[in-house]
Amino acid sequence: MADITVEAVHLTKKYRERTAIEDVSFTARSNDVVGLLGPNGAGKTTTIRILTTVLTPTSGDFRIAGRSPKAPGEIRRRVGVLPESSGYPGFQTGLEHLSYHARLYGLSSSSARDVADSLLTDVGLADRARSRISGYSRGMRQRLGIARALVNDPAVVFLDEPNLGLDPAGQSQILKIVRHVAQERGATVILSTHALSEVEEVCSQVLILNQGRLVASGSMGDVMRTAVVERSAQLRVPSHLIEPARMAIEKLPELTIEATDGRPDLLKIGLRTASATSSDESAQRLNAAVIAVAAANVPVLSYEMEGARLSDAFLQMTKKAVR
Amino acid sequence: MTTVVEPPKLGAPDRAIGRGGGTSGWLVVAGQECRDLWKSGRGPLLVFCFSVLMSGITYLASTNQALNFLERREAANLLLQFAVAVGVLLTLIVSADGISGERERGTLESLLVTPVSRRAIIFGKLFAALSLWFAASLVSVPYVWVLARGMGILARALILGLVVGTIVAVGLGSIGLLISAACNSNKTSLAASAFLLLILFAPTQLPSGLPQGWFFDVLVRANPVDAALSYLSTQLLQGGPWTEDLSYLISPLLTAVLAGGGLILFGPRLIRLRAGGVE
Repeated sequence: MADITVEAVHLTKKYRERTAIEDVSFTARSNDVVGLLGPNGAGKTTTIRILTTVLTPTSGDFRIAGRSPKAPGEIRRRVGVLPESSGYPGFQTGLEHLSYHARLYGLSSSSARDVADSLLTDVGLADRARSRISGYSRGMRQRLGIARALVNDPAVVFLDEPNLGLDPAGQSQILKIVRHVAQERGATVILSTHALSEVEEVCSQVLILNQGRLVASGSMGDVMRTAVVERSAQLRVPSHLIEPARMAIEKLPELTIEATDGRPDLLKIGLRTASATSSDESAQRLNAAVIAVAAANVPVLSYEMEGARLSDAFLQMTKKAVR
Repeated sequence: MTTVVEPPKLGAPDRAIGRGGGTSGWLVVAGQECRDLWKSGRGPLLVFCFSVLMSGITYLASTNQALNFLERREAANLLLQFAVAVGVLLTLIVSADGISGERERGTLESLLVTPVSRRAIIFGKLFAALSLWFAASLVSVPYVWVLARGMGILARALILGLVVGTIVAVGLGSIGLLISAACNSNKTSLAASAFLLLILFAPTQLPSGLPQGWFFDVLVRANPVDAALSYLSTQLLQGGPWTEDLSYLISPLLTAVLAGGGLILFGPRLIRLRAGGVE
């Protein structure tokens, strides 16, 4: 099993009466991409700032690559950070910017330049290395920010909203780099984001924070199982065959058919006793509808399970904050 | 929900790079801050404005005989005082932007997560701000030469100007950085520094015919800018040994020591980030 690189134990941060995070504990290993989720104000940025030694926790402890926060410099040598809404000096070139940051880690000028050159190539900015950052697009700046977070070959990389404001192509590029960092460099990536689809795409672990507390942690499957989300399904069949399909489903005593918002080709299927069953069991029972419709010789044009996505679990776990 | 935390596995990868071998952190920061100041055009613009003002004053003082009631020695003294006052002002302006500007531009956090200490970051920024003072003093050399040449006070004027100005610049630069670290916005920091400048410089502009006495003397000596300029004036106009009237330098020296010490002691604690997101 891979090494533990992040170990947070009962972390709490309070600002006078306000509690930013409370009793947050988790571990992460090398090669993991950990999605750090939560609504605005949940404590994601505070958690990252504590783990990168920018903030001191009110109580609790943590280790980064086995190093204690009592020696913050030792931790900072082993982490890379892309802060939320990170700024860049527009008059510097990408190469100058990365070289400067590499030198802050104690590299000589020539080594820093080599590292900068190599990272700019890795993030696809080699051809713009000598252009001023003011001429970079937002996506290019974010890629430069990730490269900056890698100048010290960190064991743990914290990315706070790296895809904020990027178009789909830019987002896809960033996710590709995130995967590369975890798989090829063997680093742990802590990815704070609001984009749940990104998390589903790249993350092996998920942490969900709500009002400063960790409400779920573990693999995607673990989190989905933890969240008791009511499952339902949408089944689309040719509109002239909607009645045979409805009759086939009505024969199944555990399922109900709900209103279809006036769509003649769509059936909304629910469970009669949803709360009494596990999410896996609910999915199996809903799947019986597809089998029944197919058995009635009605072609199934599409079948979509609702309540089975990370976003459903997220909304269910953070509903107090959403209200 | 809490998770059971496993003990860390022994032999976790040690991937720290760059221990030693490179330049000290504060020097790296100072070098980059100087490059930023001078390459971004801010430094050259301020020095250009400074040299335009110096040109104007020198021209008027040396050529316009009808309006110029000053002796050349007095004119040289006036110019040197102006050079020190404005050069120091530039230092304060640049240092007032040091931390709050970075915070506002979103570049501070990426500095804070590097192994370079906050103290070293502050020290590097102070050094960069002082580079503007040194540039201003260099630019003022030919102007002072024009007015002070042939009177045997040129070297004295240049050396005293540099030494006294540097003491005041260190003090005000440190105060500017403390203000910048303490203020949440750059505008507040610049406004507070401008207000401080007004308080310090206003007394130097009062006409010399005002009633004088012990209270006025204390006011002059307590104000580091006024006291420094008074010392320069005494030295250039009366021509005594440099040790004469050294008491004028107490407040500039105290300001430099106290503000510099405060910056070293409390500056790191004052450097903080804005709350993340809407937290």
